[in-house]
Amino acid sequence: MRNYLKLTHKRSAQIVPSLMILPYVCFMFFCGIIPIGYGILEVRNPSWVNMDGGPETFIKVLQDFRVGPALINVFFLILIFVPLMAVTVLSISLLLDAIDLRGNALLRLLFLIPALIPTGVAVLFWVSVVGPEVVWDHSNIRWFIGSIAFSTGIGSWIVIQYGSLRSIPPEVLEAGIIDGCNRFQLAIRLKLPMISKYVAYMVILLIVSALQIFNEPNLLMFTNMTTDWSLSQIAFSYAFKAADFAGSSALSIMMLIPNIILALLFVFFTDFIKKSKNS
Amino acid sequence: MKPIKQDRNSSLIKITLWIMAFFTSIPFLWLMKDAGRMIFSPIIYYDNGIFFVWLKNTSIFVGSALLISVLTCVTAGFVMAVLDVPFRRFLLFSTLVTMLIPITAMAMPLYVLIDRIHLNNTLLGLILASSYFPFGAFLSYLYYSSVLPQELVGMGRIDGLTDFGIYRHLGIPLSKSLISIVTFFSFVGLWNSYQLPRVLLIDPSRSVMSIGIEVFYGQGTTLIGIMMLIPSVLLYLASQKTIARGIFSGAMKG
Repeated sequence: MRNYLKLTHKRSAQIVPSLMILPYVCFMFFCGIIPIGYGILEVRNPSWVNMDGGPETFIKVLQDFRVGPALINVFFLILIFVPLMAVTVLSISLLLDAIDLRGNALLRLLFLIPALIPTGVAVLFWVSVVGPEVVWDHSNIRWFIGSIAFSTGIGSWIVIQYGSLRSIPPEVLEAGIIDGCNRFQLAIRLKLPMISKYVAYMVILLIVSALQIFNEPNLLMFTNMTTDWSLSQIAFSYAFKAADFAGSSALSIMMLIPNIILALLFVFFTDFIKKSKNS
Repeated sequence: MKPIKQDRNSSLIKITLWIMAFFTSIPFLWLMKDAGRMIFSPIIYYDNGIFFVWLKNTSIFVGSALLISVLTCVTAGFVMAVLDVPFRRFLLFSTLVTMLIPITAMAMPLYVLIDRIHLNNTLLGLILASSYFPFGAFLSYLYYSSVLPQELVGMGRIDGLTDFGIYRHLGIPLSKSLISIVTFFSFVGLWNSYQLPRVLLIDPSRSVMSIGIEVFYGQGTTLIGIMMLIPSVLLYLASQKTIARGIFSGAMKG
């Protein structure tokens, strides 16, 4: 009886916190869980690629002749530009953190500004800089799209990684200096390991953003070379050009699978949940 | 000898950073080179002044989604860090997982859902689809975990504060720097968002500026680019002190 009363009291005490978090949970379901579930259900319907509907749609969209080249394009970005972006962001953030705060506010702003320029303007800038003959050359288009993603992508990550470096308790760094670390050793042996989970977070999101790339190739469609250049564009074209929602949902959900696996690995291999248990 | 060597290293780092900053800010310098001869007329008179419709739509969309996302995620972060809520670990787990799924990855599934509930091609549909900001909830959770220790919450309870009272009298007064940083990240994401508006707003008369920019390629680009840059820069300047103090403070203790 006492246990029952205790439980009832606990439940009533949880009503207000539950109500406070309810709007956030509603959005979590509306923007995350429900669309994925609905997308899976949508695949049951007959579609342009699979007249009978059902799970075969997943295989049929993979057999689409546009998927292979699009996969090569996104893997190119993942292999070349993701490591380049991660190294650049970490180098700049560590250098910013290594010098006095005075004067580096302007530097941080200069690094951030390209990230604040809308992709539409950035695309035009790059077209003007390299000249139309370079853009119209088919062999350059992957490098071109990668460069735009690099230019617009690193700024906000520099802010986040710099913010994570500034979160390292000063006493930890002082202990490193007492132990005889120079600035380079401090960066490599202390700072980088301490921000490793934020680095992992950045690398995962960079990979996922490359996998899902849409804006840059879509804004370059006037060249007629980037129609269906990426997987997201193919999913878009299923829905809007063929009115095939089942095909579009099937491709989008398959693109989410590596994303969800990486996210789960991140959560299980970092200590955020453990920390929450202790707090 | 050591301080001289350190000074030399600092100067070297600063020079390297300034050179890198110059290269990364080339797009901005390119934008500014035409600032002196910006022409307003192609933008103002294009398609009977549709620019002002896009400006109005952008203001409604960004203002509403920003307000909803900041309010919901700051409150959620507070609840997960401080209060006793059912399924707390599941909520935190889901926040971390969804934080790693960009909204662009959800664009097509969201489009299908929004189409089925007949909110396609409406600002309301776009606002609802853009208001979930798990990174903000995660930042809020870390922030409140560090600035609001359980002892302080316990003292508040002894003084007769309810759960909502703790939020109102302790959580909100402490949230100024948190709100500035969450607002900055949320605003930049919404203001420059391209894929979701592109998918959800097909009718040009209901579009927003980040999409409308495509039609001004040429003479109007500089003006639109600068117009879209200014609010983000101002917000960054307002929140940069928090960034310099460390946005993940509290997550690296012990």
